[in-house]
Amino acid sequence: MSCAIETKELCYTYEDGTIALDHISIGAERGKITGILGANGAGKSTLFLNLNGVLTPKSGQVLLGGEPVSYSRKGLLELRRKVGIVFQDPDDQLFSADVFRDISFGGVNLGLEPEEVRRRVEQAMERTGVTALRDKPTHALSYGQKKRVAIAGVLVMEPEVLILDEPTAGLDPQGVSDIMRLLAGLRDSLGMTILIATHDMDIVPLYCDDAYLLGGGKVLLEGTPEELFSNPAALRANHLRLPRIAHLMEVLRDVDGLNADGSAATIGAARREILRLLKEEKV
Amino acid sequence: MGTDRYAYQSRLRRVSPLPKLLLTVVAMVVCLCCDSVAVGLATLVGMGVLITAMGGLSPRVLFRFLKIPLVFLVVGCLTILVGSYPAGTEVIAAIPVGNALWGFTAADLWLGGRIFCKALGAIGCMYFLALNTPVTDLTMALRTLHVPPLMVELMELIYRFIFVLSETAANIRIAQDSRLGYQGFRRTLSSLGTLASMVFLRAWRRADRIYTALESRGYTGSLTTLHDQYRSGWWLLPLTALVAVVQVGVYWLERMALG
Repeated sequence: MSCAIETKELCYTYEDGTIALDHISIGAERGKITGILGANGAGKSTLFLNLNGVLTPKSGQVLLGGEPVSYSRKGLLELRRKVGIVFQDPDDQLFSADVFRDISFGGVNLGLEPEEVRRRVEQAMERTGVTALRDKPTHALSYGQKKRVAIAGVLVMEPEVLILDEPTAGLDPQGVSDIMRLLAGLRDSLGMTILIATHDMDIVPLYCDDAYLLGGGKVLLEGTPEELFSNPAALRANHLRLPRIAHLMEVLRDVDGLNADGSAATIGAARREILRLLKEEKV
Repeated sequence: MGTDRYAYQSRLRRVSPLPKLLLTVVAMVVCLCCDSVAVGLATLVGMGVLITAMGGLSPRVLFRFLKIPLVFLVVGCLTILVGSYPAGTEVIAAIPVGNALWGFTAADLWLGGRIFCKALGAIGCMYFLALNTPVTDLTMALRTLHVPPLMVELMELIYRFIFVLSETAANIRIAQDSRLGYQGFRRTLSSLGTLASMVFLRAWRRADRIYTALESRGYTGSLTTLHDQYRSGWWLLPLTALVAVVQVGVYWLERMALG
């Protein structure tokens, strides 16, 4: 497995002495979507700020493409070019009242030629579907539209790793699937490595290739989403839950005594499983 | 909110902001220097025609916008107009108050009228700029005019976060109101105080998060961005000259008519 970004024994302590990250070792495989699950205050956001060099770890390492990152001025700029973060609240990220100018910011900071910046802005707007919003001021956009503009503003830097903090929070169901499809599209067409922090459990089996469970600043579980869902007790102890479908399969198995596979967490997997059970019944 | 919404819909929105700014400034300076009733009114009409014909704004909306400063103008000019005079002064209209006359003379009327019309003309010029140029384009123009970047960046940030903060304030107000926070004078005062301090605190915290977000996009001390492509607007230059010529022409006509 080749990791685009990984951490080794990463520790981070806040100034007031709170231990936010306690020997975290995670890795995000290249071209995959990795989910970081955890309750509020589990350390997800702190971890992300460490991955992008906004916070400097107290001990341990962040490795980008296998190389430890350098915290020199140049090294940081390089790190931020390669690792882009989309924050939870787009109003924290969009600082310009003009959509085009906001998206161009990262490109200008890379010191690119204006023509190249323009090309990238157009491309990023097209990828995120915000081209039609260029004639609107930022404050006239809906929450979901702002989120897309925020993503475009990071894509313009053409990062290798895209990190999103709670990308689906506050969106309507259509908005959630639009954003997640957009991310899956970036993974499939550009081979981008994507890390998302979330506690929206239902999107995890649909879009994540790998997942980590964080709790109290530690990695508690890691593996594929199915592997994590086979340990519902750990999820529940961390204020999370199984996806609804996986919960149904668990009830069918534990309460109704059916031979259901508890790791079937998507509608497709559950359908196959139920059809299989029906067939078994007939025989 | 306000004029900005119309600026984004204007047909002149994509036109480079510098020529628009130039037209505004030239017309305004000429209007103020002429200090005449006719030039003021002519400037207002001329700008109204440019705003509706070229910008595509409906005259009804323009009229609505003109009504707002009109109130201030009328109040301001009335205070200039009315004065107290010793009894026996030749006045146009006055009421005797004790030994003095309170009213206005012909010279007062002339002065008030000139100031009123001059201000109307200047307002027309400002509206030409405000209703056709989004604020972000205007600050971009200021940048090219070498206004200190720190000032321009502050203007841009303030403009952007006015909307974020006013939304925050509106939400807090609704939350307070729905729990009866604005029943009675005392409670209103205390709720308003809480609102102000909460908005300040939230702005403070947000500033921290914005800084983090900027940093992670490679911020190194300057908020330089690239604007969307403008249409060239140098064809506005002859128009600017024409406007100035018409203004000066009206001025001469007025001088000649008045002898």
